[in-house]
Amino acid sequence: MLASWKQLIFQILLLLISCRHINTTSPDPTPPPLVPIDSLPRDVRRAAFKGEGQIEKVEVLNPVNLELVCTWTGHQDKESNITGFWRKDGLEIENSHLTVQLENEQYQLQRVFNIVSEENLGNYSCVFESEVKIDFVVAVPQIGEIRDKPIVTYVGDSGMITCKMEDSKPMPNTWKWYKANGTDKEEIFAAAERQRYEIKNNERKTKLLVNNLTMADSGLYYCGAVYTLSTSMGHVELKVITYFEPLKPFIAIVIEVIILVTAILLFERSRSKKNDTEGDMMSDQTNTLSPGENNGLEESSSMRQRKT
Amino acid sequence: MPPAAATNLGYTPPDGGWGWAIVVGAFISIGFSYAFPKSLTIYFKDIQEYFAVSYSEIAWVSSVMLASMYAAGPVSSILVNRYGSRPVVMVGGVMVSTAMVLASFGTAIIHLYLCIGVIGGFGLAFNLQPALTIIGTYFQVKRPLANGLAMTGSPVVLFTLAPLNQFLLDSFGWRGSFLILGAIVLNCCVAGSLMRPVNKKALIKPEKTEPPEYNGGAAEEAVTADTVTQSDTLTEGNQKQSKSQGCVNRFIDISLFKHRGFLIYLIGNVVMFFGFFAPVVFLAPCAKHQGIDDYSAASLLSIFALADMFIRPTTGFIGNTKWIRPRIQYFFSFAVSYNGVCHLLFPLASNYAGLVVYAVFFGFAFGMLSALLFEVLMDLVGAHRFSSAVGLVTIIECGPVLLGPPLSGALVDIFGDYKYMYYACGVFMLVPGIFFFIMHYFNYKRLDEERRQNLAVDVRTCEEAVELKTNPEDKAAHDTDE
Repeated sequence: MLASWKQLIFQILLLLISCRHINTTSPDPTPPPLVPIDSLPRDVRRAAFKGEGQIEKVEVLNPVNLELVCTWTGHQDKESNITGFWRKDGLEIENSHLTVQLENEQYQLQRVFNIVSEENLGNYSCVFESEVKIDFVVAVPQIGEIRDKPIVTYVGDSGMITCKMEDSKPMPNTWKWYKANGTDKEEIFAAAERQRYEIKNNERKTKLLVNNLTMADSGLYYCGAVYTLSTSMGHVELKVITYFEPLKPFIAIVIEVIILVTAILLFERSRSKKNDTEGDMMSDQTNTLSPGENNGLEESSSMRQRKT
Repeated sequence: MPPAAATNLGYTPPDGGWGWAIVVGAFISIGFSYAFPKSLTIYFKDIQEYFAVSYSEIAWVSSVMLASMYAAGPVSSILVNRYGSRPVVMVGGVMVSTAMVLASFGTAIIHLYLCIGVIGGFGLAFNLQPALTIIGTYFQVKRPLANGLAMTGSPVVLFTLAPLNQFLLDSFGWRGSFLILGAIVLNCCVAGSLMRPVNKKALIKPEKTEPPEYNGGAAEEAVTADTVTQSDTLTEGNQKQSKSQGCVNRFIDISLFKHRGFLIYLIGNVVMFFGFFAPVVFLAPCAKHQGIDDYSAASLLSIFALADMFIRPTTGFIGNTKWIRPRIQYFFSFAVSYNGVCHLLFPLASNYAGLVVYAVFFGFAFGMLSALLFEVLMDLVGAHRFSSAVGLVTIIECGPVLLGPPLSGALVDIFGDYKYMYYACGVFMLVPGIFFFIMHYFNYKRLDEERRQNLAVDVRTCEEAVELKTNPEDKAAHDTDE
């Protein structure tokens, strides 16, 4: 009996010890995929230290075993051993402190990270001697070609917002649209409100058509490119204004034109009245010409008469 | 000295005074006519997204507008011949304004084609022709300068409209911007109101102020000779009118096709326009193709526009000097050839500095040619027939202007390199340049001969008249004998 109790206690102790090493960071809302870690594809990224503030971008779409390798050539006086460790999102990763040997005139730090869910994405840094740091930003492909200026539309009109993932980046699995509601994002379901919203999805492009705009439709709209690991967001601002906005400068300019035209024509009329009175006086004095459009012919005939 | 046809105006143009207000009006009209279609391209991306059409469908708006502007040339000429410049320009301004306001409410791309393209293009044609024509009625001695100053309107208005359009787009979207542009374009009516018809009554002073046209001969003889030739041509003209051309000739002068100078101008221009606009259109894309970033490529166009802006009035001024004015056709031929040489040397520009140098020289070449383009036509056919001439020229130039950029684009696509397109454009401009030089050499010789013959004939008729006058008794004696 005692032997079986001892066995049980021993097994419980073993269980407790092994449980301590289980990763107990924030609980997932969804359980992590039950893929055995060894069967994940492996990806290697290397970076050599070039200067302060060095950032390497790593794009991942699907779960992967990511090996990050950092190399550093060291100071002038190279010591044979230095310390190095890893950080994630600014916080030191436990048990990542290592002693790095000087090999082939450089120090090398490497570690394999299991990128299986959204929590595993972030900013990974390798640090040498607490002074030399290289950042790896591990994220899903970001939407690069997005409009930075607001789209201006009118009440009653329809607005079209486009999001595109560049050809050089991998295609997303699907697209989703969100509307900003205060600080929250509310997903737009086109099926629910067919008259208002229409979503057209192409592989690399997505278009959101908002019909029958009202002033309340102004605001930020987010398009999300959905990948297995996470969704990358881009935002576009939609501004809805009434027709009175452009009408004000329009009317102002039309008034300016009318004023100028009237002024010029009045000025001309007053000058021509002056010239008429002068012209009458002149024609009384000199016995010259006949006015009119066909002055050429009449004038030449009159001159002929005078000359011959 | 300008050929005899030019001075058969029947009056002395003021060459100043209200003429400078006319230049301001023409500046605005010509500026809008040329710059407006080009500046609308800023809206294309937004409109393309809104209507979900391809880029080529949107680019049609600009092409239809340009085509209508050129095709409506003869209509514009007929109206100007009939009613004068002022009403036509004001109607044109109202037309473009209405077109833009209607387009701002458009619900399909075809609305834009019809409104902006057709109506807008016609309205711009009604601005361009009368503006050019009225300069010819107000200026004679200082005409090249006036033309150069008026043509400067095109780069200046483009320079102003480009950032303004971007600002309007960011603030009001394309619909609001079209509405406001409709109001801005209404300023063409202000330009039209400035275009007071020249007061021919007050300017007819035949004994005193008719300019001495011929190098030889006493002043009086020249005056009498001139009035006699003038009356001869006018009576001939009237007879011709009443006989054959009749109805058509009252509207537009088809007899221009027998005019030597006009034919030279027309043939050269048709070939030249194939290679005229394409280098401008492809300057930025070519720079980007060579690896220059967007901002620097855009600044190349600004450099080009500044060089253009500067050289146009300068060319007008140079064309007015006493050395160039008599042989201004050679100056024009030089400008055309210079354009051609500029394009042929373009492939030597391999880095950004080379492109900047090219942009400066090309700006000078383009501006020089544009400033002289209509001045030499006025010089050839005279102010009377200029209105009809320019109408005929624009409708015939419609083809090369429209076909030029797409053909060049096709060349770029076939060879994958821009330099062959520049070679082709260079050839298309150098050949007419040389053609102009040769043909105008012969033309000037012929004109000088004709003038000498006319002078000899007039001197003889005068002498006969004088003889008859001084020997009345002999005549009476002869009569009584018979």
